[in-house]
Amino acid sequence: MKRALTVILLLALMAGFGLGVNRLIASRKHNIPTESSVFIPTVTRPKIVLPGTLYLAQNGDIYRLSDGFFTDLHLSTASGSWMQPAYVPNSQDIVAVLRAAEYSNLYLLNSQGSIIRRLSNNANVHLDTVYLNHWMFYPHMGADGNTLYFSYDQPKNSSTLAVDFSVWSGTLSAKLAAAQLTNSNPFTGGDVDPTPMASGTIIYSKYAIGSGNAYSQVALQGKPLSKPIILTTPAQDCGQPAPSPDGTKVAMICIGGTGLQSTRLEVATLTAGKLGTPQTLVNNCLCSAPVWAPDGSGLVYYNTADATGHFELWWIKGASSAAPSAPLQVTTNLDFDASSPPSWSPLSSVPVMAR
Amino acid sequence: MPAIVTAFEDTGHTIDRSLQTAQPSAGASASASAAARASAPPAVAPPGQPFTVLLLGSDNDAKFGGTVLTQSMILARVNPTTRQVVMESIPRDLWVPLSTGGSAKIDAAYLHGGASASVATVEEDFHIHIDHYAWIGLLGLVNLINQVGGIDVVATNPVMDDFYPKDLTGKDPYAYERVAVLPGPQHMNGMQALMYVRSRHGDLRSDFGRSQRQQQVLLALRAKAKLLGIADLPDIATAMANDFSTDMSISEIASLLPIASSVQLQNVQQVILASPYTSVLVVSNQDALQPNWNLILPLTHKFFPAV
Repeated sequence: MKRALTVILLLALMAGFGLGVNRLIASRKHNIPTESSVFIPTVTRPKIVLPGTLYLAQNGDIYRLSDGFFTDLHLSTASGSWMQPAYVPNSQDIVAVLRAAEYSNLYLLNSQGSIIRRLSNNANVHLDTVYLNHWMFYPHMGADGNTLYFSYDQPKNSSTLAVDFSVWSGTLSAKLAAAQLTNSNPFTGGDVDPTPMASGTIIYSKYAIGSGNAYSQVALQGKPLSKPIILTTPAQDCGQPAPSPDGTKVAMICIGGTGLQSTRLEVATLTAGKLGTPQTLVNNCLCSAPVWAPDGSGLVYYNTADATGHFELWWIKGASSAAPSAPLQVTTNLDFDASSPPSWSPLSSVPVMAR
Repeated sequence: MPAIVTAFEDTGHTIDRSLQTAQPSAGASASASAAARASAPPAVAPPGQPFTVLLLGSDNDAKFGGTVLTQSMILARVNPTTRQVVMESIPRDLWVPLSTGGSAKIDAAYLHGGASASVATVEEDFHIHIDHYAWIGLLGLVNLINQVGGIDVVATNPVMDDFYPKDLTGKDPYAYERVAVLPGPQHMNGMQALMYVRSRHGDLRSDFGRSQRQQQVLLALRAKAKLLGIADLPDIATAMANDFSTDMSISEIASLLPIASSVQLQNVQQVILASPYTSVLVVSNQDALQPNWNLILPLTHKFFPAV
């Protein structure tokens, strides 16, 4: 009987020890957030209510942020991921990219997320010629609400392996890919992030490869296919240019000197086709996709909030001034698509209708 | 920022020219090196001392009848005391004498004798000693990155490829798929990161561009090491299953975690052996790279002690 009690006691001690060790190990595991632990956007931090309406992409869906509240457009992800929304001036509509595995198309959507129409047809039905598919990214509307600018991987020469973006333009009312505006450098990835300016020129990121490194330069394109004006140096490695509403400032993301592990958010004055000395607003960050408020009062951008790496929305008031405010984190526990720049409409909230 | 010796034509002058003296050819010295290894097996660096690891990355599908080449070879020198790291990418197409006999692209060393042949080939051709190796397959890398919650990468440029192997996701291992990794900072899951480091057809630098991206992803993983502890290793090992092998023990790997997390970016040097360290060579109807050992060996021995 005494032996049996001893055995039971030992078993209990073993079980307790095992449980304790398990709990100890579990307590030392690090809680690395995964996609499932990221929340669906609902509200922003209450003290930061941005004017107008922002359109943002997360996890293949597009959200509208207005008056401090997010509205899920509930876009179907059955055929791909929605990204890179671009508001259509003087309307409640947006253009957005639907990215499938081998191609992407541009769509015109209304404010409730219903598809008005597909604007492009870049899918190739022949499975053995996958290279005949095409990509379209970075749509941006002109001020007239009809002209559309975007990056497109045409023209493509089937005798080479080169696949590079060029900037194209067209209209919502007629032909979408009507004119090729830029000649990209082959085997570099090409020209991306086109934004029309009031002057009629396009500002964009032009990629090149030199001295063994790939880099981006901010460029201006006047007449189609003319020689671009290059605004930054290869060493700066700046891209994602965002012109302020009055066209006098350019916000951009620079990588030069970071060892390709971080970025800087910079703002520079644009005068007569030349950039002034840039002012660094945020250093040593993973800043991405700056966009100015429609009234020029500040800018938003994406950056991670901590080492877990999920991208949140940040706001800098007075970004164009000599003494901008400190960055404020607008959202928490979200995970925006950092390669999908927000689009900021001056129009405030639109009525939410039952779907 | 880490010093990057990209070693392309007009960046070669970042290297100390005084070191570019004539060296014995790799082939001529290979047998002597092998003899030395046989007579006195090199010891593994004691704890706390600088050590060298050969990182190997392979496709591991069966489309070539079970043959496995290394698509990535990175020599890493780690100094635990100074927290300094050097990474030197060895081009997969480098035409070298193999430790198992004959000459071939260096990626074939693994095919002929696994990790030990890769280690021996690099040791003999580069005249260095390797303390450890770590091999990871494509799915192993995907699972590792997913297990740590993805990585944050600043994509250097739009990485485009219309002929990316669809050997992990499709039924036909010979099929192609299209890749378009957009530029700039982004959070990548394992499959996205694999596309970023494996794609090469749309890059002017081909394999060299890919090598640079591979080192970039290794540094991004280093950042994630700050979030890991020894208790996370079993889960990570399980996730990588048969797609990872090494001659390091669990305790040795665990001891590397605090080193990896404490290495500052400015203490990382990156080396990529492009022109003039290598030049294009066509041999047996294959595109290969001719090593310029007179340049490669002095450069390598700046960071990896010669033996």
